[in-house]
Amino acid sequence: MNAKDPQVIDTLAEFMTHAIALENESVERYEELADSMEVHNNPEVAKLFRKLAHFGELHAREIKSHADGMTLPQILPWDFKWSTPEGPESGPMQEVHYMMNRRQAIEYALHNEEAGRDFYAAVAENSPRAEVREMAAEFAAEENEHVDILKSWLLNLVDPESVRPEDLDPPNIPE
Amino acid sequence: MSTDTPLKPKFYKTEVKPVWCPGCGHFAVLSAVTKALAYLALPRKDVAMVSGIGCSSRLPAYVSVYGFHGVHGRALAVASGLKAARPELTVLVAGGDGDGFSIGGNHFLHACRRNMDMTYIVMDNEVYGMTKGQASPTTAPDWAESKLTPHGPGVPSFNPAAIALASGASFIARGFTGDPNGLAKLLVAAIEHPGFSFVQGLSPCTTYRPEQKEWKNIVRPFELEPTADPVEAAHRIQADDGMSTGLLYQSRIPVWQPENLVSTQVDQLERGFQV
Repeated sequence: MNAKDPQVIDTLAEFMTHAIALENESVERYEELADSMEVHNNPEVAKLFRKLAHFGELHAREIKSHADGMTLPQILPWDFKWSTPEGPESGPMQEVHYMMNRRQAIEYALHNEEAGRDFYAAVAENSPRAEVREMAAEFAAEENEHVDILKSWLLNLVDPESVRPEDLDPPNIPE
Repeated sequence: MSTDTPLKPKFYKTEVKPVWCPGCGHFAVLSAVTKALAYLALPRKDVAMVSGIGCSSRLPAYVSVYGFHGVHGRALAVASGLKAARPELTVLVAGGDGDGFSIGGNHFLHACRRNMDMTYIVMDNEVYGMTKGQASPTTAPDWAESKLTPHGPGVPSFNPAAIALASGASFIARGFTGDPNGLAKLLVAAIEHPGFSFVQGLSPCTTYRPEQKEWKNIVRPFELEPTADPVEAAHRIQADDGMSTGLLYQSRIPVWQPENLVSTQVDQLERGFQV
């Protein structure tokens, strides 16, 4: 398992590899969740995850543009310096449910964005290289904007979300 | 921007959307398998994945290599036949705890003993999920959530690592789907191991065993380095609660691979069936 505490990122190339992986894995996770929710007939949450994947894709593109002209190192999946089991913005798979509602989905995304922000903030604080610290601080600020956007989504959500709808095909049926 | 990364895990995923419940641990096994294959850069035509029946046995549909979705409990038998006929293939076998340790239990024993060069991944969620939540061989005796066993199965659960060791397996590891990257690393070691490699993947069932979400707070890495001593391994496995992860045991013993000396042509086979 990846280390619990943030590890030091030394070079800009190493940092950019982490940032790109973070964004790409996040997009893949949201796509996977959207597919999964479609399969399980939860179209509203599927649409929301698809939207998050789209925003993630746009952000990934922007991050990649910062790495133009750089040669990036190959880092094996288990050698990334995350303090989470996967990339910080790839939320834990076990925290979703086929009956989850939009509020829960946004809360899940909010948790992911906060984890991404915290990762960048930790790099901005701990890296020995000024250029890495500077770039990480910029990315942390961007993630903070995403956090604020998701918080505003939660505030503006009008649907009655606190109760899950009745499950017409419940998991434990009498045998 | 350039990297020297040759293959992405996505390269090994099919377009088929998994039917697993959102939150299922099996998604992480899919992720780990594709990451391991990408790391090893195995050509897709040189890999085959065989499975039995159950939620986990859907895996070959989602991995872009040759696949065979077999019959219940018979994944290892099919895979052994495949490996005997096509020794050059990398053979992966996938299934669940019910498929592998109940109806397929006998095949599990002999696959361990035979030590053919293949990797068996068991996605263990201690329940039959596809049939709506019945106790499996790894279910705790007091799990009383199924109407079929209202007071719990009442019998001790099966210890897969102990059985694998006693049956002669040469590679025994345990991973956790809450740590897909750690599981991927274990799978790389398992695939590279010459012989039968058994990987038990603790894979929570979000629907029938929601309490397994707590596994993330219980699972921890093995504190000791892997051993090649079966007596020491037996001691460690018996002393463990089944929630420690990592490579538990690895030894080098001869790999069994039958020699395919006689080659039969199709027309010869057909002549044999003529009446």
